[in-house]
Amino acid sequence: MIDPTLISAATATLEAAIDKALRYDPATRQRLQQLAGKSLAIELTELQLTLGVYFEEQGIALSTHIEEPSTRLKGSLPALLLIARDPGTSLAQAGVEAEGDTSVLLAVRDIGSDLELDWEEALNDWLGDVAGHQLAQVLRGQVNWLRERANSGRRLVGEFLTEELRAVPSPSELQHFSEQVDQLRLASDRLQARFDRLRDLLSNSGSA
Amino acid sequence: MSDRRQDKKTTHFGFKEVPVEDKASRVAEVFHSVAGKYDLMNDLMSGGVHRLWKRFTIEVSGVRRGHKVLDIAGGTGDLSYKFSRLVGPDGLVVLADINDSMLKVGRDRLTDRGISGNLVVSQADAQQLPFPDNTFDCITIAFGLRNVTDKDMALRSMLRVLKPGGRLLVLEFSKPRSELLNKAYDTYSFRLLPLMGKLVANDSDSYSYLAESIRMHPDQATLKQMMEDAGFSNCDYHDLTGGIVALHKGTKP
Repeated sequence: MIDPTLISAATATLEAAIDKALRYDPATRQRLQQLAGKSLAIELTELQLTLGVYFEEQGIALSTHIEEPSTRLKGSLPALLLIARDPGTSLAQAGVEAEGDTSVLLAVRDIGSDLELDWEEALNDWLGDVAGHQLAQVLRGQVNWLRERANSGRRLVGEFLTEELRAVPSPSELQHFSEQVDQLRLASDRLQARFDRLRDLLSNSGSA
Repeated sequence: MSDRRQDKKTTHFGFKEVPVEDKASRVAEVFHSVAGKYDLMNDLMSGGVHRLWKRFTIEVSGVRRGHKVLDIAGGTGDLSYKFSRLVGPDGLVVLADINDSMLKVGRDRLTDRGISGNLVVSQADAQQLPFPDNTFDCITIAFGLRNVTDKDMALRSMLRVLKPGGRLLVLEFSKPRSELLNKAYDTYSFRLLPLMGKLVANDSDSYSYLAESIRMHPDQATLKQMMEDAGFSNCDYHDLTGGIVALHKGTKP
């Protein structure tokens, strides 16, 4: 059982990110207003967790508790992500069950695909300025560190394998080796040709 | 179960025993002292997690458009702010606190954040709520019940003003489930917390009281029983952050 504090942290972050994204997107906000008063329950079967989405005049409220939703979606997390990512997939194909007002689902899918979320700003919102800034700094640092390692890592691993470990050849060695293989193949082709010619000569002289 | 002792007529004030009639004024002194820096201290003391505990309370409340909500010991108005947005122009939120310093801070903050129209402020004692019977769809009391002198009386008073089917939510410090967490939490609250209180609010005594009052508060099972004894049905609780805090829920039959 996940501590409710952690689930609330996740819903708060997601809600703040959606809120921020909507602030600079009046068209989507207007489309959402048409859903005001409706609600969607998303049941994640493997986590035994239900996420509630309430559509309000001013945006969206997320909740770990939901009573009498207009629409209910039930499925595994990968299945739900699949239908969120690929609008072409049907609910039945993905293995997701839906009950209630399905017009809400169509509207949510359209709106969701247009939203761009800023996670770092969202963290600031619910953790307060002090802790939010600190955590955002840590996250930013981690992301940058990982990105740098991903770039230089590829180079470092290559050097280690070729120069230190001598486990794999360097590019120039590999090229030299493949040139030698080419020459060997040409030489063996020439040998085969000479052999064929000699065999022909011998058979001709024998029959003559 | 009451923390009042009939023979001596004393009650707990943190770890001290004080005359029953003195507790309210002593608690009032503490909150007059901390009101100005209450939010900053809450952020520092809990690392921002108190916001999540309050958020979870709002999620469980099921409060929707048109509801009437009473936020007892509402202090600086964190819950009232959210409730005011949820109930909309047709609903009503009453921000109540016994302490006028806290109430002033809360009222000013809500006005600054643009909340008006569906919110009223009331200086009220949880033991004798000044509202008609069957008024509210939901009552919350967040980090307030442990400061009330007679908790049973307060619970009965809340039951009276709730509508049938309405819910009471009590968010309060409780008993951590694991012994290890309990020990770490003890060190934190009796050593670090008063030190922070001294550094930030220049008032270590008030923060020592806060730590002591948390230890004297009934644990999860006891509070649940108290709610049932007061007449609530479907009583249950959620442990938050390993049981450091618990959210109790009960319904008026």
